[in-house]
Order: sequence, then C-alpha cells, then structure tokens
Amino acid sequence: MTAAQAQSGEIDWEGGLVQRARTGDARAFERIYREHSGRVYGLCLRMTRDAQIAEDCTQETFINAWKALARFETRSSLGTWLHRIAVNVSLAKRRKPSREEPLPDDEEGLSADWTLETPVEVREIEAAIDALPDGARDALVLHALYGYSHDEAAQMLGLAQGTCKAQLHRARRLLRDRLGMEVG
Amino acid sequence: MKIKSLSDLPRDIAPPRDLWPQIAAQIAPSADAAHPTDVTRSRVAGRSVRLRWLAAAAMVTCLAVGVWIDRSLLPLPGNVQGGTSSVATRTVTPGSPTSLDVAFVSDPRYQRQRAALLSSLQAQLSALPPGTRTKVLASLATIGKAKEDLESALGKDPGNALLQELLVNTYQDEMRVLTDVHSASNAGEGI
Repeated sequence: MTAAQAQSGEIDWEGGLVQRARTGDARAFERIYREHSGRVYGLCLRMTRDAQIAEDCTQETFINAWKALARFETRSSLGTWLHRIAVNVSLAKRRKPSREEPLPDDEEGLSADWTLETPVEVREIEAAIDALPDGARDALVLHALYGYSHDEAAQMLGLAQGTCKAQLHRARRLLRDRLGMEVG
Repeated sequence: MKIKSLSDLPRDIAPPRDLWPQIAAQIAPSADAAHPTDVTRSRVAGRSVRLRWLAAAAMVTCLAVGVWIDRSLLPLPGNVQGGTSSVATRTVTPGSPTSLDVAFVSDPRYQRQRAALLSSLQAQLSALPPGTRTKVLASLATIGKAKEDLESALGKDPGNALLQELLVNTYQDEMRVLTDVHSASNAGEGI
C-alpha cells in the first residue's frame, strides 16, 4: 500500500475542508494546518537538518499550498500533496548542494524492509540518518520513514526511479556502517 | 526508546512553536488582494460551491433511496394505494412552482399523515427482517441529515429555488420510505 492509499481515509472530511479553504475560509485552512503541520515539519526537519530552516520550509509549504489549492485534486491525498510541496521547498532552501559521491550501479539486495538487526535508540538512528549525504537521506526519509513507493519518492525528488533506488542502496550501506549492524 | 525498524521512527514532529499566526498573516493579505474590491463575489463563489456540494449530496441521497425503494420495497405491486399512498407523490407534481412545493411541506394534512406514519413506524419496523430494518433506518437517517443540511442552507439563503426543490425532494423521499414500509408491513408479506 502506498502512502497515498494509506491516507485515503482522510479524504472525505478533508475534501470538505479543502473546498471551504478554496473559497477563502482561513479557518478551514487552519484545520488543515493543525492536522498536517507535524508531519510536514518532520519531513522538512529531516531533509534540511536545521530546525530554523525546517520552520521556514513548513511555513512556506502551507503558504504555497494555500495559493495552489485550486489546483489540488480532491481525489488524491492531501497529505501526499503537501509533502510534495514540502520536498520542493526543502530542496530549494538548501543553501548548498553537498558533494555527492558516485552512486553504485548495483541495485541488488534492495528490499523494502528497513529492519534493524537489533533494537537501537531512536536518537542514535536519527543521528545516523542526519549524517547521511543529502541525496541518500532524502530517498531514505521518503521511502523508509514516510512510506512512499520508489516511484513516488523519485517523482517527489525529481529523480529517475533507478537513481532513487541507488540512493537508497547507498543509504542502507552507510547506515549499516554507522550503526555497526545489518539494516534490512 | 529503542526501535527495531526505521518505519517505527516518528513521522510527526511538532514544530517548536506555533507557525500558524505567521502563515495566517501571509495568506490573509493575498486573499484580500485577490478580491480587493468585490467581497460579495467571493461570498457568492463560496455559496455556489456549497450549493453544488449540497445539491450533489441531495442527489446522491435521492438516488440511493430511490434505488433502494425500487429494489426492496416496490416488488409489492398494488400495495401502494388507497389511504396510505404517498401524499408527497400526489400533491407535488414535477414542474410545479417551487414556492408551492415548499408550502406543501407545511400543509397540515401532510404533517398529520407524516406524524401518523412516524408514530406507527416502530411497530412496523419490528415486523421487518433485520437486514431490511437496518436499511430502512439507514435510509431515514441519511434523509434526516440531508434535510438538516438543506434547512440550514435555506436559513441562510431562503429564496434559493434549487435548495427549496432539493428539500421538497428529500421530504418526498422520506414519505416514500414511510408509506412503503407501512404498506409492506400491512400486507404481511415482508419485503
């Protein structure tokens, strides 16, 4: 199940809020913000690794969403739509693109499972994810944490699906090295 | 706290402060700027959207109830006749002026007939098979909700002909359910 499908249960009441917000009802839009701000901020924080920039990205995400509400199709997931905006904003806000090492061609062994060999402290995993190069971290956050498919994550990041998979492969290898255990 | 999978990491992280006031400040001027001189236009647009929603909801309700009645209650030809036939069906004819339609809803004869049907509804429901009883109650609940929504919308826009028509249709649907349940239970044939 994709993240969009998982969130489809929210669409009924959210569709009504979106309709109201489209007519200029800021209170309806505030309810949308209250419902989604945590997830949007979490995504922005993980992509930018900076609380202040993540706040800016979150604000910009909702401001952009407000302006673009007319283009949102209520059949799709509002959460996914907001995440797409958040990813675009976060990518744009990064001050400098980090130097990326060449990606491996080999995508073998890329499973959908991101299980750890033994339980690990949350802060230790978060630190290991923070330390990943931007490209690998972006793909990992969208796919492993937020549950987007390879295709969805690649689309959000503006990458070819193969490139996105290669970034995930790299993220898995680096996490394994940093956590000292198998991942997946 | 230890976790075993990356998917167990929290997806929601609350921002350290409430970001809404700044967002609201940013979107309010843009909303005003979009319609700087014509507030009425945006209100009309909003009402139009709400109307479309209400119309769609009422149409779905009518369709669902109509289909359900045709499939479940009307296989009893000839039973819907005599004193318990639908007042709504007899009184309101398609194309008649909407104001008359609304007047029909407050007609004392209609009100009496509806009250009588409602008072005997519980006893009649108990005579129905459980599955049918559930469907009847669900239909009546849907109709009741549609009536509430339409009456609320009419309270804000009393002269709206579309809303009036939808409301009358909804009352007609309610009467159809009540009279058909009445007929079916009197016939003793079940549904």
